[in-house]
Amino acid sequence: MGLVEVATGKILSSFSVFLFLTILLMVVSRRISTSIVLFSVQSAIIAAEAFATAFRERLAAAYVVAALIVVIKVVAIPRAFFGLVSHLKTSTDVKASTTPTQSVFIAAAMIYLSYAAVQSYEQSVHVPEDALAAPVALILTGAFLMVSRNKALMQMLGLLVLENGIFLAALTTTFGMPLVIEIGVFFDVLIGLLLMGVFAFRIRDTFDHLDVSKLRRLRG
Amino acid sequence: MRIALNILQALILILGAPLVRGIIARCKAFLQRRQGASIWRPYSDLAKLFHKEDLVPPTASSVFRLVPFGLFGTTICVAAFVPLVQPSALLASRGDFILFVYLLAMGRFFLSLGALDGGSAFGGMGASREALISSLAEAPFLLSFVAVAILASHADFAGMVAWTLQQNIFNVSAVHMLAFTSLAMVVIAETGRMPVDNPTTHLELTMIHEGMVLEYSGPRLALIEWSSAVKLHAMLALLVALFFPWGMVSNVSAGAVILALLLYCAKVVLLIVLLAVIESGMAKLRMYLVPDFLGVASAVSALAVIFTMLDKR
Repeated sequence: MGLVEVATGKILSSFSVFLFLTILLMVVSRRISTSIVLFSVQSAIIAAEAFATAFRERLAAAYVVAALIVVIKVVAIPRAFFGLVSHLKTSTDVKASTTPTQSVFIAAAMIYLSYAAVQSYEQSVHVPEDALAAPVALILTGAFLMVSRNKALMQMLGLLVLENGIFLAALTTTFGMPLVIEIGVFFDVLIGLLLMGVFAFRIRDTFDHLDVSKLRRLRG
Repeated sequence: MRIALNILQALILILGAPLVRGIIARCKAFLQRRQGASIWRPYSDLAKLFHKEDLVPPTASSVFRLVPFGLFGTTICVAAFVPLVQPSALLASRGDFILFVYLLAMGRFFLSLGALDGGSAFGGMGASREALISSLAEAPFLLSFVAVAILASHADFAGMVAWTLQQNIFNVSAVHMLAFTSLAMVVIAETGRMPVDNPTTHLELTMIHEGMVLEYSGPRLALIEWSSAVKLHAMLALLVALFFPWGMVSNVSAGAVILALLLYCAKVVLLIVLLAVIESGMAKLRMYLVPDFLGVASAVSALAVIFTMLDKR
C-alpha cells in the first residue's frame, strides 16, 4: 500500500513538469495529428493527477471526474478529431504563423511568466510551485495556439488546451469542483466541439479550405 | 580498484561501440520488417577494412593521411570522460564539460580538414554542412550541460553524476527534463542520426557525414568509422550517466559492479530502441529545416538554464 501513496505523492509533485514538455512539443509540432496525440497525452497526465488527488483526499466524486477525463478527453475527443481530419481531407500542416523556434521561445517565456504570476500565491495555497504554474501555462499556451495557428482545427485544439488548464487550476487549488459542475463543463466542451466540428465542415464546404486567415475577405 | 574500473569503463566505451551500431541496425531492421544483419556485423566490417588496401587520392596531402589518427585520438579522449558504472572516469575529474564539448569539436575539425583535402566535391559540401550543424549545435550542447552543472554545482562529469545519484529517483525536476530533451536533440544532430542526417546513405546530395568520408578507404576508413561509433556510444552513455545514473556503484565490490554493468547495458539498449523508433518513424529534415530543429533545442536548453533559478532544491 505504501508504494501507491509514494506514487500519488510523486504524481502530484512532479507530473506538472511533463505538462510543460507537452506544451513545448505542442507549439513546435508541424502536423495536426501530432498535436492531437499530444493533447491526448496531456489529458492523460491530468487524469493521473486527478486520480492522485482523489486517492489522497478520499473523494469519491473526484474518481468519477478522473474517469470522465479518461473517457472523454483521452479517448473520445482525440478520436473525434482524427475523424474530423480524415473527413475534411485538408492538408495536415498546422499553418503556423510563427516559426518553431519563435514558438518555443514564446512558450518558454509564457512558462516563465506563469511562474512569476503564481509566486505570490505560493504561500497561501499549500501546493508546490510547479503544480500552480502548470495550469497558468496551459491557459496561456492554449490562447497562444488559438491566435498563432491559422487552421480552424488547431484553434479548436487550442481551446481544449485552455480548458485543460482551467480544469487543472480548479483541481490543484480546491481539489476539483463539485461533480455536477464538472459534468456540466464536460457537456459544454462536447457540445462546443460538436458545434465547432459542424462549423469547420461549413467553412470547408464554402471556401474549400480551413485557413481562417483568409476569411477576412468576407468583410465588405 | 577504482582506477582499474575506470580503465574498464573506457575499454567498454571503445570496444563496445561497434556493438551499439549493430544493435541499432538490427532494431531498425526489425521495425522495417527486414531480416537484418547480425549485431556483430560492424566488428567484421571493421576487421575487413583493416585488412584492405589503403588508397589515397593523388591530389591529397599529408593532412589527409593524418586526419583519421587525430580523429581517433580525440575520440578516445572523449570516451575517457564518460562515467559508466561508477561516478568517476579516467579524465572525469581532470577536465570539465567544456573540454569535453571542444574535444568533440576538435575531432570534427580534423574530419572536415580531411574531407576538404580529399578533393572531391562531396567532401567539401559535407564539411561545410557539418560546420554549419556543429556551430548551431554548440549552444544547446553547452547550455544543457550548464543547466545540470549549476544544479550540481560541479563543472566536471564526476561531480554532476555523483550529485544526481544522491537525488530521489522520483523527483523529476524541470531542469533535468528540459536539459535531457535538448541534449537528446543535440546528440541526434551531432552523431548524424536520422532527422538531421541519414547514416545509411552513400550516394545522395544530402549526405553530411558519409560525404566527408567518401574518399577514405581501408584502415583509415576503419578508424573513422570506429571513432564515429565510439562518439555515438559515448554520447548515449553520457545521457544515461547524467540523467539516469541510478544503479551506479558508490562502494566498489564485484557484485555491485556486475549489477551496475547489467543496468548500464539495459539503459543503453532502451535508449537505442528509442533512437531506432525515432529513426524509423521520421523522415529526414530538409537541410534548411535543420537550423529550426537546433533552434528548438537551443530554446529548450536556455529554458533549462532559466529554470535553475526557479527550483533551487
